[in-house]
Amino acid sequence: MKKTYILKFLAVLAISSFTLSCDKDYESMNVDPTSSDELDIIYEFPTAVLYTSGQRYETWRGNLIYSSTMVQHLSSLETYWSGDKYLWNSSYASAYWDAQYPQTIKTIEDMKYNIEANGDITNSNYAITRILRVLAYSRITDLYGDIPYSEAGKGYIDGNTRPAYDAQEDIYADMLNELSESAAMLTDGETADLGTADIIFSGDEGKWKRFANSLMLRLALRMVKVDESSAQQWAATAINGGVMESNDDIAYVQHEEGNGIVQNANGETFQADNTPRLSETFVNFMKDHNDPRLTIYGALPDGTDDYDVQQGLPNGYDTSTITNYDADFDLANYTAPSDLVNGRDVPMFFQTYAEVEFMLAESAYRWSLGTGTAESHYNAGVEAAMTYLSLYSSEATISSSEVSEYLEAYPYDASSALEMINTQYWAATFLNEYEAYANWRRTGYPELTPVNYSGNVTNGTIPRRLTYPTNEQTTNGTSYAAAVSSQGPDALTTRMWWDVE
Amino acid sequence: MFKKSLGLFMFCFLLANILVAQTKTVTGNVTGKDDGIPVPGVNIMIKGTGTGTSTDFDGNFSIETAVGDVLVFSAMGLKTQEVTVAGENNLTIVMATDSEQLDEVVVTALGIKKETKALGYAVTEVGGEELSEIKQANAINSLQGKVAGVNVTGAATGPAGTSKVVIRGVSTLSGNNQPLYVVDGIPIDNSNLGSATRWGGSDYGDGISSINPDDIENISVLKGGAAAALYGSRASNGVILITTKSGKKGNGFGVDFSSSVQFETINTDIYEFQKEYGQGTDGNAPTTQEEALSAGMYSWGAKLDGSQVVQFDGVERAYSSTGDNISRFYHTGETYTNTIAISQAAENYHIRFSATDFTNHDITPNSGMNRKSFSLNAGMVNNEKLSVDLNTKYVLEDVQNRPRVSDSPGNIFFIVGLTPANISTETYKPGINEEGTEYRISSSSTYHQNPYWSAYYFSNQSVKNRFIGSSTIKYQFTDWLYMMGRAGIDQYLARITSVEPYGTAYKPLGGMSEQSYNVKTRDADIMLGFNKDLTEDFSLNALLGANNNAWSQEITSLTGTNFVLPGLEDISNVDTKNYDYANYKRERSSWYFSAEFAYKNYLFLNVTGRQDWFSTLSLAGKTSPNNYFYPSVNSSFVFTDAFDLPEWISFGKVRAGYSDIGGGVNDPYQLNLTYGITNTYAANGTSTPIGGITNSYLPNSELEPFSKKEYEIGTNLKFFNNRLGLDFTYYSNTTTNDIVAISTSTASGYSSGYMNLGELTNKGVEVLLSGSPIKNDKFGWDISYNLGYNKNLVVKTDDDGNPLFPGDAAYGVNSQSGAVEGLPYGAIYGTTFVRDDNGNIQYESNGTPTIGDYEVIGQGIAPWTMGISNNFRYKDFNLSFLIDAKFGADIFSGTSAFANYYGASKNTLVGRENGLDVSGVDSDGNVFSTTLAPSEVDTYYQQLYSIAEANIQSADFIKFREISLGYSVPSSILEKTFISSARVSLIGRNLFFLMRKTENIDPESAYNNTSANGIERFGRPTTRTYGVSLNFKF
Repeated sequence: MKKTYILKFLAVLAISSFTLSCDKDYESMNVDPTSSDELDIIYEFPTAVLYTSGQRYETWRGNLIYSSTMVQHLSSLETYWSGDKYLWNSSYASAYWDAQYPQTIKTIEDMKYNIEANGDITNSNYAITRILRVLAYSRITDLYGDIPYSEAGKGYIDGNTRPAYDAQEDIYADMLNELSESAAMLTDGETADLGTADIIFSGDEGKWKRFANSLMLRLALRMVKVDESSAQQWAATAINGGVMESNDDIAYVQHEEGNGIVQNANGETFQADNTPRLSETFVNFMKDHNDPRLTIYGALPDGTDDYDVQQGLPNGYDTSTITNYDADFDLANYTAPSDLVNGRDVPMFFQTYAEVEFMLAESAYRWSLGTGTAESHYNAGVEAAMTYLSLYSSEATISSSEVSEYLEAYPYDASSALEMINTQYWAATFLNEYEAYANWRRTGYPELTPVNYSGNVTNGTIPRRLTYPTNEQTTNGTSYAAAVSSQGPDALTTRMWWDVE
Repeated sequence: MFKKSLGLFMFCFLLANILVAQTKTVTGNVTGKDDGIPVPGVNIMIKGTGTGTSTDFDGNFSIETAVGDVLVFSAMGLKTQEVTVAGENNLTIVMATDSEQLDEVVVTALGIKKETKALGYAVTEVGGEELSEIKQANAINSLQGKVAGVNVTGAATGPAGTSKVVIRGVSTLSGNNQPLYVVDGIPIDNSNLGSATRWGGSDYGDGISSINPDDIENISVLKGGAAAALYGSRASNGVILITTKSGKKGNGFGVDFSSSVQFETINTDIYEFQKEYGQGTDGNAPTTQEEALSAGMYSWGAKLDGSQVVQFDGVERAYSSTGDNISRFYHTGETYTNTIAISQAAENYHIRFSATDFTNHDITPNSGMNRKSFSLNAGMVNNEKLSVDLNTKYVLEDVQNRPRVSDSPGNIFFIVGLTPANISTETYKPGINEEGTEYRISSSSTYHQNPYWSAYYFSNQSVKNRFIGSSTIKYQFTDWLYMMGRAGIDQYLARITSVEPYGTAYKPLGGMSEQSYNVKTRDADIMLGFNKDLTEDFSLNALLGANNNAWSQEITSLTGTNFVLPGLEDISNVDTKNYDYANYKRERSSWYFSAEFAYKNYLFLNVTGRQDWFSTLSLAGKTSPNNYFYPSVNSSFVFTDAFDLPEWISFGKVRAGYSDIGGGVNDPYQLNLTYGITNTYAANGTSTPIGGITNSYLPNSELEPFSKKEYEIGTNLKFFNNRLGLDFTYYSNTTTNDIVAISTSTASGYSSGYMNLGELTNKGVEVLLSGSPIKNDKFGWDISYNLGYNKNLVVKTDDDGNPLFPGDAAYGVNSQSGAVEGLPYGAIYGTTFVRDDNGNIQYESNGTPTIGDYEVIGQGIAPWTMGISNNFRYKDFNLSFLIDAKFGADIFSGTSAFANYYGASKNTLVGRENGLDVSGVDSDGNVFSTTLAPSEVDTYYQQLYSIAEANIQSADFIKFREISLGYSVPSSILEKTFISSARVSLIGRNLFFLMRKTENIDPESAYNNTSANGIERFGRPTTRTYGVSLNFKF
């Protein structure tokens, strides 16, 4: 009997000592052995840049299916190419938002927070991060209007899972301010600590500074319809601060045929979807001007790059209605994005020197800002827009004589300055369709003839924005409702703050 | 009674006079004392040896014995009898009911066997024979309709798919709400190794499907918290205890062989797509091959008129219905199961070995599975003090080409179901072009695969090698004190190879992945037990124990895209490769106690407690607790033993229980932000590693365990000599502080995260009525009816009352299923028609209905589940069947949405001839009516695709679930053979619906096992199963 009591006592003792230590090592066990709790910015920054460039998901839907077709750079007969036909596909329309906030914005806000938390806010890395941040947000707001900005991307940082939407007007004010402050932190000739981890400019602070000012110029001009005086004032600030000076200053990221985000997402799309063609509008514009870019941007699907056989596919048709346009229709006879530009390893451009020259031309024309005439900037822009294509491929080189021939045949005409400048801007932003679409909405140039596809939701007008993710109604309902009541219905036809009629 | 005692006395007297033993054959018959009918399955053993036999269906037996031997007759619920063999060659044994064992003994938490009358909660036991006769690839599907309050749904993903079991309603808003499966005392892993989402994919099965139905002795379902409380946090969704077969004391040496063959055919009643209009668009048949290709799945062509019309391959064929493509494309499925089991048992040891081969050729061509299961259970007892038991299982599972479901890429049924009426899937053959690429049947979408390409050139193979083993050592210090240790392991290696072939339309260069899983569960218990009568009236049965459970999962995956050499499907033959490695670990430590007080063996009180510590809730610097204490108390009062009651009440008890169980976070590493190196960037000339945040969920460092409090009351009543029984339970539970995976605004940077916010309740009743209206030696009829009603209510989702959705896992088309405050879990939320105050539908100017906001449009989980089973016995035949039903649920039909879009369903016929009249209001609220021309009706129906409300159907059904007709060869025939028992049965499963409201889909056709039911999207089509099974014992 005594023995069993002893045993029982021992067992109880064993159990109680077990329980006292039973969560020993649990804190270390619950740390993922395959991950780290911190990451140097040199690894995170390239990811942020590549996210900004975009992945196939949102590029296919946001850049190509919607933006490129609405500005009539591309066209497709397929009905899922909703932008071609002004149809509303909610998940395509929201794809850019759906992908960018959880990727680009989360990453950039994390880098920014970590720099601030580490007290490194005087480091030029901080300025570069903020410039990239403005680029990322500007694309989102230009597609959707009012968006979460001041509270966005901070789900972990401050636990805000339902960020409020900021008015686009306020976002612009802050972005311009951010660019101005960031540019002031950078010094020409110095290399930021990021070094080669900066896969845009290899840490060249001068280039970042010029990019910041060029971006400022872009944002400034964007406001021209709604607040011309601010637009002029910020344009002057940008130009005085120093904008891009040559194709060497172009902000772009080189891609490669790797896996995931290192690839050019336009290229990934063209590989997966061979239905898009160059729009008839775009091809005719180039053909009308004997533009050498035509056979760089496009070729027949079998690779034929003879200038004369190229033809654009009109927007707004589907596979059955197209026979009304061409009774012997064969998709093989229409110009597709060429092998020079449709690869997974070609660069993705955020802003080119050509765009900057066109903006300088417009600023000179409107407000006589900066040095040089509108014409000289226009000519420099056209030249840059043709010569920068060599960044796609050495085979995509346009000679200076071809440029001069083009300019001689179609010289700058001050009486239609804004139209000429912005039509060239449109031609120069092929494949950077977010920018092409925003600038078209701002300027209305080139004058595009809308399509009127049966069942379109815009009453035959070109959409003015894309729609918010439908799940914002459920996951962020109060903020969403506030945004809709202030901006207008969450529809493709609603105009955003800077896009006044 | 007196007579029998006298008889016994006489035997003993005779025995004393016989001194010389002689061998002889004794035959006899056993009947029950109460009803005089033969008792089958009585164990008869020669005392002191391992030799024995059992009675056949008619209560007859025959045994080689010797004069002087003592025969021990024993059976569950009957008083054991000993008879000494004397001169007689024929024995008539009458066995009395054992009042001590009136209630059968059931397996309860921690594997402890208890008399049901002592239980203050509901436990349902299902015998292994119910699972082995009509075998399911996933044995747990056999519980469908059999247990009140247990809602079982097999996913529509083929035989190797997952099974979803929800007990007493959904109790947590995150997690999968699946019960804990405990096999021979060891909790096993039930992980799902991948399932389809809204974007398509395949169901890679669950853990419980490894358990071989032929090895299951019984399944005990611990439904409520009180029953399961000793498992603590793991029991919040109920516990299913599976005991596997072992050699039975008294059966001696035995060989058991069973074989079954089952055939599966499409349930053609379900699929009724329109066969009046053919391929085309805008009311026109294609005129060129290109148009035909582009028309693809569109059935918006002209009326079928038998004229010659070109098809996708350029061949002109009659524009008329080609009949049923579904039956044409799919084969008859075949399943063969063969099991051999050898067992031997004696007083002090038992052993059973079994081997099963399960081979299935699925209805989908080039798809099927093989599972080989080996089981070895053994045990020994040493001088009544020390006992050791060992249970092991080894399972090899090999599944070829699990169907791709949900979205269209590679989804066979999507195409076969939607193929226009004038096209025969035969013309899709062979699915491949001469150059080795997909033979395309549609150019309208690259995601519409030729089904022969999907079946023969897509591939996925999953192989699982699994070992489950446990050993138990028990030492009985005294007759009232014992110590027990139990340790077990469940480990498997799984490998999944999945190929999207070179030449696939949406992936021209193809791609593949290789994934390996190494999943390990280790579980150990130690407990000290005390079991003693403290006074004459009062006894105590107590235990104190500790448990540790560790789980780990390592996943190595290699994925590659763009094959370099076409046709070589090897992971090294790709131009871009990606690899990933994940290592998940979690552990739980616990101590627990249980004390059961019994007064006069009719009043019982059981108190338990368990405290769990969670590694998944531990983090340096965390201030909220990482542990929780889970108490329970339950009581049972057998009033028929306490009071003198009329004879017609054979048994009666009332019971009540209360528990607080709950849970932590299942997934580790959810508390802190983590980073990793994710890729390499080399485009600028130097190869640079790049990385970022790796959390997919928003991390929350202050998570703590949630709580689920439940009480239940119930009664068990038996009347008229146990001929009529009622088991009734009412329960009510409340989960608070639930850890919810909330959907966050993507603008926060995360689309979801875990928070301690949720609250939900379940209230319900469970009723089991059983009766034996006819019971005599020739004919017997047993009937039982079970009913479960569960009223679930989502009280709180998050601070703002937002609906919560599991995301891509429960997505239809513009619809999803999840938690909406004030409604039961599983609310289906989707786009709606816009209506004015008078209910008039709003139309766009083109006559299509306006797409409205997301609203609740249905309820995905059935509150009412029930089953009725009948068993008729006539001499050596028996016929049993099960009908089960679910009511009160809806299902969003993705098939309906796409069939609207492509013009495949019958409802889209309206208006094709003369135009479609619509009337309602316009966007300004003015009266609006128009007629869509026949060429434009497609725009109307295509708009219905986008309006989820148009694609909701009632999921109510009554299914004729199972039937079996069996014949047991009488022992009089087998007597002179070496066969001791032989049985043959014809079986059928899911033969037909007695009631169904869905169109073109099975009301039970989820494409994965997420908790949020009610979303269907082109799973594998529903089948009927019929077959034969044979069982021999030697």
